[in-house]
Amino acid sequence: MKRWIERFGGVILSGLAWIGGATRLAIRTAQVAVKRPIGFRDIAVQLVELGIRSLPISSFLSLFIGMILTWQFGWGLADFGATMALGYASSLALVRELIPTFLAITVGAKMAAGMAAELGSMKVTEQIDAVSTLGADPIKKLVWPRVCGSTLAMPLLVVWGNAVALVGGMLVAEQGYAVPSGYFYETYIDMLAPIDYVASLVKGTIYGLIVGILGCYQGFGTRHGTEAVGVATTETVVATSVCIIVSDFYLTMIFV
Amino acid sequence: MSPAQPSDSAPAPIIEFDAVSKSFGSNQVYREMSLSVYPGETLTIIGGSGQGKSVCLKMMIGLLRPDGGDVRFRGESVLDLTAEGLRRLRRRVAYVFQGGALFDSMSVQDNIAYAMREHTKTSEEEMRERARVCLEMVNLPPEILEAMPAQLSGGERKRVALARSIAIEPEVILYDEPTTGLDPKNITRIGRMIVKLQRELKVTSVVVTHDMPTAHKVSNRIAMLYEKRFPFVGTAEQMWNSPVDVVRDFIHGTLRGDNDGA
Repeated sequence: MKRWIERFGGVILSGLAWIGGATRLAIRTAQVAVKRPIGFRDIAVQLVELGIRSLPISSFLSLFIGMILTWQFGWGLADFGATMALGYASSLALVRELIPTFLAITVGAKMAAGMAAELGSMKVTEQIDAVSTLGADPIKKLVWPRVCGSTLAMPLLVVWGNAVALVGGMLVAEQGYAVPSGYFYETYIDMLAPIDYVASLVKGTIYGLIVGILGCYQGFGTRHGTEAVGVATTETVVATSVCIIVSDFYLTMIFV
Repeated sequence: MSPAQPSDSAPAPIIEFDAVSKSFGSNQVYREMSLSVYPGETLTIIGGSGQGKSVCLKMMIGLLRPDGGDVRFRGESVLDLTAEGLRRLRRRVAYVFQGGALFDSMSVQDNIAYAMREHTKTSEEEMRERARVCLEMVNLPPEILEAMPAQLSGGERKRVALARSIAIEPEVILYDEPTTGLDPKNITRIGRMIVKLQRELKVTSVVVTHDMPTAHKVSNRIAMLYEKRFPFVGTAEQMWNSPVDVVRDFIHGTLRGDNDGA
């Protein structure tokens, strides 16, 4: 019993230490963000790496999410002869919830894992120490561009994903339920208020921030050896997914 | 054992450890350790694997902080330095990492020019020329300027790391196991480089190694790490002729009282 309590206490303490460490990194990143030089070139490189290179997978996922959800709603609405309400039914779920959260859990976790693997490899080969010894600040040079890149890229991907999901919905509505795609589009847009777009963008931005901070924190925290890089990468995927789902709950509460 | 003490006429140390203690968890690496490095000399730190030789170098450049005592560079405590102070220190003290620690995502030229970009307002053309000169100093051809680190051999990577360290003309170069993992030819080559750089650039060098021939070749003084301190600091000759058991055991690789069945 005593051992169980000790183990439980240890888990709680290490969890708190992990949250504290990630928060400290976020604060340090905010502090270096205002210092010159801003590092536009490094941020642009990360935007290309994290954003542009994620476009194909984001498009693919969003198209299928749009098609699946429309198909599901169509199946339910058909029982009541209400398939013409398909646009109304699917828009809110896609824009406010599914596209931002699903993209964050898939594409965002991919970004975070990539950061953890890259920075973890740099850590075990002493490249992060080398950045310090050459007179640069690793937070400014390595963390800031990645956090900034993911925080900017994620909402942009969400905007793109929303548009692609709409196209996916239009395809299924027209082909599966004989709802004219123009009508689907009009009812879909009609249902959405400005706050829904804001909610989608805010979720994307906060998920991007979480992705950047956790990816970098896990990478910087990598212990010795190449095996540790694999462990850090796996843990990053889990940690990012959990944090996104938890933050989604609170963000949904705020925007409802 | 009697540590070699500098004479009264010796110049002030450029780097000084004063009663430094350092632990990692329950593992104590240093206990009230003191050591001085004098301008222009090459001091080699030897000792068994895992005893904390690299920790000593990392404390010199402020990558690690001691738990107790003080580390001073030219009389100024490294522990009191602000972020800007540390940046200035690292402009004057270069570090050559064990594996080279070249940035994988950058070309050889960008690796060498990294510190110049951070510390100076040198033009791209001047940086390229400086990178070429640095490569020449470590006997590497300028053709590899555009190469990526992954395309280089182990020996070339270490020499590029050396070139990177001298790019902004530091006062001190810290070498962390510069010959580990190299073949005998490259070990000799790196040893010669260390001597050449000290002679031509007048830098102070601190070399961490357990390769005795290299230590003998490059050092003005050798410090032996044993039981969390430096009980022996002296010239290579003093070391080779030392009557003290732990020193003799280390340089001859004697396993005293070690029942490993060999």
